[in-house]
Amino acid sequence: MRIVPLLLLICAWQAAASFGVLPKTLLPSFFDVAAQLGAHVRSGEIFGHTAASFARAGAGCGIAVAAGVALGLIMARMRAVERAMEPILLMIYPVPKPAMIPLFMIWLGIGDFSKVAVIALACLLPVVVATFNGARSVDDMLIWSARARGTSEARLLWRVVLPSALPQIAAGVRTAIAIAIIVLVSSEFISAEKGLGYLIFSYGGVGADDAMLAIVIWLAALGYFLDRGYLAGLRRVMRWHAFAH
Amino acid sequence: MASCLDLRAVVMRYGAGPGAVNALESIDLAVEDHEFVTIVGPSGCGKSTLLYLVGGFLRPTAGSLQLRGKEIAGPGPDRGIVFQRYSLFPWLTVRGNIGYGLDEQGMAKAERDRIVDEYVQLVHLEGFEERYPRELSGGMQQRVALAQTLACEPDILLMDEPFGALDAQTRRILQDEVRRIWRRDTKTVLFVTHDVEEAVALGTRIVVMSARPGRIKEMFVRGFDVGDGEEFEADPAFAELKLRIWRSVKEEVEAARA
Amino acid sequence: MPLLTRFLPIAVILLLWEAVSRTGYVNPNVFPPVSEILLRWVQIFWDGRIYPPLWDTMWRALAGLTAAIAVGVPLGLLMGRVRAAEWFFEPLFSFGFPLPKIALIPLYVHWFGLFSLSKVMLIFTDCLFPIVLFTYHGARGLSSVYLWSAQSRGTGRVRMFWRVVLPLSLASIYDGVQVAVVVAVLVAVVTEMVSGGGGLGELMIRAYRFGDVRTAFAALLTVSLAGYILYKLAQWLRGRLLFWHVAEV
Ligand SMILES: Nc1ncnc2c1ncn2[C@@H]1O[C@H](COP(=O)(O)OP(=O)(O)OP(=O)(O)O)[C@@H](O)[C@H]1O
Ligand SMILES: [Mg+2]
Repeated sequence: MRIVPLLLLICAWQAAASFGVLPKTLLPSFFDVAAQLGAHVRSGEIFGHTAASFARAGAGCGIAVAAGVALGLIMARMRAVERAMEPILLMIYPVPKPAMIPLFMIWLGIGDFSKVAVIALACLLPVVVATFNGARSVDDMLIWSARARGTSEARLLWRVVLPSALPQIAAGVRTAIAIAIIVLVSSEFISAEKGLGYLIFSYGGVGADDAMLAIVIWLAALGYFLDRGYLAGLRRVMRWHAFAH
Repeated sequence: MASCLDLRAVVMRYGAGPGAVNALESIDLAVEDHEFVTIVGPSGCGKSTLLYLVGGFLRPTAGSLQLRGKEIAGPGPDRGIVFQRYSLFPWLTVRGNIGYGLDEQGMAKAERDRIVDEYVQLVHLEGFEERYPRELSGGMQQRVALAQTLACEPDILLMDEPFGALDAQTRRILQDEVRRIWRRDTKTVLFVTHDVEEAVALGTRIVVMSARPGRIKEMFVRGFDVGDGEEFEADPAFAELKLRIWRSVKEEVEAARA
Repeated sequence: MPLLTRFLPIAVILLLWEAVSRTGYVNPNVFPPVSEILLRWVQIFWDGRIYPPLWDTMWRALAGLTAAIAVGVPLGLLMGRVRAAEWFFEPLFSFGFPLPKIALIPLYVHWFGLFSLSKVMLIFTDCLFPIVLFTYHGARGLSSVYLWSAQSRGTGRVRMFWRVVLPLSLASIYDGVQVAVVVAVLVAVVTEMVSGGGGLGELMIRAYRFGDVRTAFAALLTVSLAGYILYKLAQWLRGRLLFWHVAEV
């Protein structure tokens, strides 16, 4: 049911194009865009670019999740680490991460390394903050309960703190995924020879608006299904948790 | 002969300076093996605090707590605790929760599952082994908590208002179960409640605490046996003891309010 | 003293950085000492080189943000109180919120040209989502008690928006604005990096082309500081305007 407004919007778009209300030079019709998308999928050209983009985003996000969860947990359980890291994180916080792309290109070149590094940095903060908050708000009773049943301090992190923080970590990772895609596209607009951002930018540069929009829609759809898939996966894996709606 | 549990001049203060709260003041209590001691007192008098001290989660400000002649140094599987609020691990199933302590002892899976099944039966939760806590009612969750605690075979059972949040019927049923389990294993139990009836129905000895700072005000020994059924409720001795204890508690509740 | 120990970790890192880049093991043009970066920062403020791009970035961000508030707040309120508007717009905004609107840069350049207009429009588009959604959730979640109480005192349907719904949704609207402030600066910089036209983003890209790390860094510090000040300003304004609001516990 929630898809109806979107369909209506698309119908209006196509109708406006068909009846000539919307000149082709301004916006290609929806059918043209769809045809382009079909052609790209059939030729298989789009998949290489998709793979390149998702490898970058995946690597960056993966590094951020691994490092962020570890750091957040340690910060929550060890005051000294928290004290040392807090000002550093506070300092990185207000930096608009895509603005670091030029610097990273100087340091790591214009290849994949600089993109992955910026994505990782941009995704790190939401994961650290979510993990830290989750691990900090673990119910004392659960910790006591585990201790009373013979769990050692070291195992506590694994057996109690991590699982109890998992719902918040999962929410942080979801934010990180959205951020990763934004930074990915920005970095591919600025410099790339492959990837969906590169494709959009180069079609846009030659005025091939129908092909460009086709890729934009492809990217949006992938982003959407990635998010849905992630949520569905969480619901399966974390059956024990009562998710909101 | 050394008592099972021996508390001497235990003082507990939360915080320091002008904001400090004197929770317990000079508690002396000896608990023998196989005793079922219930503790009643007004809200905020330090009942939970007392149990946490025995559990080893908190350190006393002064005084000594000994378990079988050894000073309590921290939490351990020899003291099983059921908390006031449900404290099951939400990410583990009923089976996972009951077997938690056994896992931590490094028990083999087959042996663990056998023991878990036994406790599932004991608390009548057959068929719910693979459910998660959020899928259970409050009464069922507290049963799981009880089984989780019992499965570790603790020497002494600490229960902090375990049925405080349950409806009256469920509470009665669970009281009967706890009594049944206690009679079967003759464990030593320290049971906190604010319900006088529960205290008398379960405890062989009833300790009344004063309003904060908590001291032991009076102790009552229940001289008669309550058996397994409900018959004891018609017993005039039961009603009389209940009334005496309530009068004692009521004074403290009023003192706490004043 | 506690403030000093608090920032000790940063001081340690900066000192290490300074030391490492002064040892000569790293190329000082790739990894210059902090002191030189800070010097450059002061320099570009001193000789005034930073002001035109800073101004460009800031006015674009603020213009886009203002337009998004002007459109987004009424729309969000409408969605919160009128069924039909909710039915149509809510799925669209919820669906679009996590998507990378940045991908529309080439389309916007085509529509609105290479210069400021396309940038302001994209900032507007991107900021619209958080503002609409937060306003909507605020207006929707209002306790009906307030509405009933106003109704019983004879407040009409249209006045109700003004006198009751808007003030009660303000807290939530401000949360949306807080998010949008961050988005506005970020999108401004990215559009400038991608399609030029002045601003701190273009300054950084040019610095990159000339391999001028010091200026790139100084520009990054400027953007971050400006974004931070804007954010704090919004926070302060929120406190001033919502003095009557008691955070619900
Ligand atoms: N962590 C703490 N810090 C400071 N004061 C505390 C803390 N925990 C408990 N107290 C105080 O100590 C006193 C005793 O608390 P405790 O929880 O032991 O009471 P209780 O008898 O279990 O009450 P209830 O019947 O309501 O559970 C209370 O006045 C409480 O406010
Ligand atoms: Mg208590």
